[in-house]
Amino acid sequence: MGWLFWETVAIGAGTYLIRALSLSGGSRIRWPDAAKTWLSFVAPAVLGALLGPLVFLSGNHWVPLLHNPTWMAAVPTVIVGAVSRNLLLTVAVGVGCFALIRQFV
Amino acid sequence: MTRPSIAKGLRDALPIIFAYFPVGATFGVIATSNGVPWLIVFLISAWVYAGSAQFMLLSLALSGTSPVSVIVTTLLVNLRHFLYGTSLGPAFSKWSEAQRWMMAFGLTDEVYAVTSSRVQQARPVVGYQIPFVYSCYGSWLAGTAVGATIGKSVPVAVSDALGFALPALFLALLMAGKRSLSYFVAAMVGALLACLADMAQLGNVGMVFGAVVGATAGTLLEKRRIDRQGVRH
Repeated sequence: MGWLFWETVAIGAGTYLIRALSLSGGSRIRWPDAAKTWLSFVAPAVLGALLGPLVFLSGNHWVPLLHNPTWMAAVPTVIVGAVSRNLLLTVAVGVGCFALIRQFV
Repeated sequence: MTRPSIAKGLRDALPIIFAYFPVGATFGVIATSNGVPWLIVFLISAWVYAGSAQFMLLSLALSGTSPVSVIVTTLLVNLRHFLYGTSLGPAFSKWSEAQRWMMAFGLTDEVYAVTSSRVQQARPVVGYQIPFVYSCYGSWLAGTAVGATIGKSVPVAVSDALGFALPALFLALLMAGKRSLSYFVAAMVGALLACLADMAQLGNVGMVFGAVVGATAGTLLEKRRIDRQGVRH
């Protein structure tokens, strides 16, 4: 376990430096318009990349939609999110739907 | 710091707080049940504060991988945070260096997702951002401490239902965004590539690849739309 302490220290320091130096550097640079446009699309692309595997896969395998409670709960969640644009309400409805669907699927 | 901005920060943090607690607890349970001392488990959550990287560190370290390989592999997974800082940077240009470094510590996937949505609406203020970031961190630490202490007695039904909190939050953020064709194409390309990479067992490489190619696809489509509008006028 001795190494685990030093691995933790090194990984924590490295992670913090990646986060802090990129935020600090990103705020000083004057970005050209093309770069600003590209950066504005990073957020939806990251959200998609986070969501895809969470919703459609389980253990690196595709889950058929009729046997996929995450996908089934995602549908009402998207509708509530689109209509309300309220984060907390959308998450609450989503978790409630997921708990309900898990009773049957 | 004003009360309304602190309250807004805490309100925006609530979905993440609910989502982080069970995941932090799961980490605590797995780590202690594999013989990692309580203090080291807590230190990992307090100092690394990056969910997937923590699970990866644990799994690699426990499987006897060399320390250099553990450090390099885990930091490669966390390199995606470079995109987050770079894309948020311009919105934080009025902040002092110390404030940016304080904020950067808590820049996780979920904090980035909410922050990038909020900075589209208004310039970030310290009174909102710091309570938002550190209440999420507090939930992660509390979850880890509880998980490491009580072990395997967290009710399965509760942690199972809360497992949907993160996908629900990401969906809510996606629907709170721009809602243009190029915006959704960026998300769909990101999702498709991340899924394909996961199915090919490429791990977090798919997330970075999906983010970069998705953002590029969205940018190209947006440029085409603007060019077409220019031709019409």
